[in-house]
Amino acid sequence: MAATTPTKVEFYFDVVSPYTWFCFEVLCRYRPYWNMDLVLRPFFLGGVMKTTGNKPPMTVASKGFYMQKDLIRNAAYFGIDIKLIEDPYNVLVQKGSLRAMKFLTSINLHCPMYLENVSRELWRRIWSKGEDITEENSLKEAAKTAQMNESDIEKCFKKMDDTETKEALKRTTQEAVDYGAFGAPTVVVHTKEGQEMFFGSDRFPLIAQLMKEVWKGPFPDKNSKL
Amino acid sequence: MAALMRTKVELFYDVVSPYSWFGFEALCRYRPHWKMDLILRPVFLGGIMKEAGNRPPMMVPSKGLYMQKDLLRNAAYFGIPLKLIEDPFHVMIEKGSLRAQRFITAVAHERPEYIEGVSRELWKRIWSTGEDIVETESLHIAAKAANMEDSDILKCLKLMNDSNIKQALIKSTEDAIEYGAFGAPTVIVHSKDQPEMFFGSDRFPLIAQMLNEEWKGPLPDPIKN
Repeated sequence: MAATTPTKVEFYFDVVSPYTWFCFEVLCRYRPYWNMDLVLRPFFLGGVMKTTGNKPPMTVASKGFYMQKDLIRNAAYFGIDIKLIEDPYNVLVQKGSLRAMKFLTSINLHCPMYLENVSRELWRRIWSKGEDITEENSLKEAAKTAQMNESDIEKCFKKMDDTETKEALKRTTQEAVDYGAFGAPTVVVHTKEGQEMFFGSDRFPLIAQLMKEVWKGPFPDKNSKL
Repeated sequence: MAALMRTKVELFYDVVSPYSWFGFEALCRYRPHWKMDLILRPVFLGGIMKEAGNRPPMMVPSKGLYMQKDLLRNAAYFGIPLKLIEDPFHVMIEKGSLRAQRFITAVAHERPEYIEGVSRELWKRIWSTGEDIVETESLHIAAKAANMEDSDILKCLKLMNDSNIKQALIKSTEDAIEYGAFGAPTVIVHSKDQPEMFFGSDRFPLIAQMLNEEWKGPLPDPIKN
């Protein structure tokens, strides 16, 4: 069977979003299984919400309650160690993720081979260990755990406040909005016929259908049920 | 692993909601496969939204645009002949589904064995053939297509305007809200210690997990279907 060009799959993500973590891990797991070129695109979810007039689900009280249960169930399903945030308004809204996403954008510009691992460490901090992701020490700790060397960490941290980095983050966020995004995760699959946007971590069967691949559930390497 | 008791599963739904149609058909298809006692609970989605302070997704323009594609993809996935509504604001909001849901509630009281068929025929009208579901004539045609007897149809058409039927629909809607519902479909799985609420037509793998059953996708029995 001749190898065909891999399907480009753009993954727009912000570490403030737990559902985005589920989607991220699944896409990473499927890299050996699907003929895809996975392109990680750090963006700013707060910017998307503002531009589209959308609001986080927790602004509807009963959605917020439901989400706590839904996150725990999904975490078990996806095999990801989620711990609910004790003070969500402070952590997710007041502190937010702008600095984290700027840092990741800087890494994407200057040391892109670390983007995946640093993203994962930042997710672990906010959504698994309940740790800060806004302070200088927090960002550097995450990068260190991701095995970045000192000089690269310093370089990327310094450059995160450059105009170039700010512009890159704005541009990536606008790209997602141009694709029709209103939240995260946003996955854009580039097929021969055109591009298709998917929202959420619960559309994998449909994404697989479009890519003519097989969805084997969140653990493709295990003999698991859907 | 012998489980003697069937798990009670309540589906709260409104025919105005296309995702409810997907959820409904999937659950109906799984009745022979899962050890569950599926209870159909017609509600008034407008009432749930109001109480929860929620708004339909199409109120955010890019969500509305996305939903059109998402509906068609899901329709293909679930094997349901969905057709997008040309004038959604007029059909879903101005005309809405109150009369249809009252009628289904009347059928639930008079002839509960027809609630599944009538619901399906109403979904087909609004979400497949693009037909009306508010006029008395429309409700009559749907019930007839579900093989209800004329005399029963006329009885339900009269009954739907009685206060006790209106109250029953309100009660069903309030029950859903008490379970924490903010939209439709809302599925309640009564297992173990407490009822567990699930929202949407995209949580079947998690629902299956809770029921200790297997989710084999939207068409568990392709041959039978």
